[in-house]
Amino acid sequence: MKVHTRKIAADSSGQLLIVTALAIALLISSTVAYIYELNTKTNSKPTQSLSNFVLALKVGTRNAAISSLANISNGGERTILWANLNKLSQLFTSIRNIGFCNLNFTLANDTQYDSGTRILWNTNSGVSSAYVSFVLSVYGMVENVTANYIINITTAIRVSGYFTRTEGDGKLVNLTCKVYNEGDYTLAKNMSVFYENLGSWTLANASNNLSIVDYGNGTYAISFNANIPSETVHVLVKVYDMRDILVQAEAFCNES
Amino acid sequence: MIKRQNFGQIRILEAFLAVIIIFSAFAISANFTVTRCNVENDDLASVGLQALMQLDSDGSLGKLLDEENWKGLRETLSLALPAGISFNMTVYNEQMQQVNPTIISNGALIGQKTAAVEYVCVSRNPLFHCYVIYLQLAVAK
Repeated sequence: MKVHTRKIAADSSGQLLIVTALAIALLISSTVAYIYELNTKTNSKPTQSLSNFVLALKVGTRNAAISSLANISNGGERTILWANLNKLSQLFTSIRNIGFCNLNFTLANDTQYDSGTRILWNTNSGVSSAYVSFVLSVYGMVENVTANYIINITTAIRVSGYFTRTEGDGKLVNLTCKVYNEGDYTLAKNMSVFYENLGSWTLANASNNLSIVDYGNGTYAISFNANIPSETVHVLVKVYDMRDILVQAEAFCNES
Repeated sequence: MIKRQNFGQIRILEAFLAVIIIFSAFAISANFTVTRCNVENDDLASVGLQALMQLDSDGSLGKLLDEENWKGLRETLSLALPAGISFNMTVYNEQMQQVNPTIISNGALIGQKTAAVEYVCVSRNPLFHCYVIYLQLAVAK
């Protein structure tokens, strides 16, 4: 009996080999197919390209707001922001590589903002800001997307200081200026300091031993000598940030 | 008697069949891998768009276009794109007039798969400038 069973087992071992090979082949194929399906699902191309398009559009509108604010803060008309965004919106609408795109925007108009911009240059602080809300609708070939987002570009400075007497009417003025972009410390591209002398603004320069120390964290220590008779020193600091947005603030310095 | 004579040959045939089955599984898997490579080539446009966005996010793309620094643009884009990708770039202004007088390229577009990207770049210059960039990409052989 044992010999008979062994004989059957020996006879059918080849078939067993084929069945095992089939099972292994099936396992390999199904594993590869599963991994492939998993990758295809996670790398859904239409979604990726559409989200990239939305991101590119956001970068464009942000740059347009920066460009407009740089212009307005340097004396340009406030209507420039609307005109530039309108031009950009039309350009985006003309691009049809992803589908039909419609970009609507609303400029902030409230107690702080006028036509989407806020230029508030005060004593001890100054703000140049643009605030626009956008509604983007993309009717893509595969899917539609509606996105609401806000662009807020704000450059602000804080200025404070004091002076110490040197000789006669001579005064050594020390100022601290802090520069912010959207509430975070940032670096200034260019900075100029003026002081009031007999009713007119005088630019502090090398002849005043002007020194500007950059601490690298948005804080600047400014010092200069001025020969003025007044008991307080009225100063004006103008700052251009890295985006060419101008902001300025005045400060009244008293004797320390 | 005949059966016993052919027994060895049948065993060889069976083993051969088993080997063919396993190798066919590998062959099918290899086909899947080839298809996956095509999908990666299709993502070429996405790679190009992301490279342009990366340059545009800090305003450097707009600055290069404002300065008409085509050589700098070619070098910057070559650095931003992964190695082995060749490109051709054409820049148009708002009136859709070509701005770049020479081809901005890092080599001939020779590849199995090509992709094209259309990108609107706004410069941060106080004087508002918009550019439409057409970027053609290919995976270099």
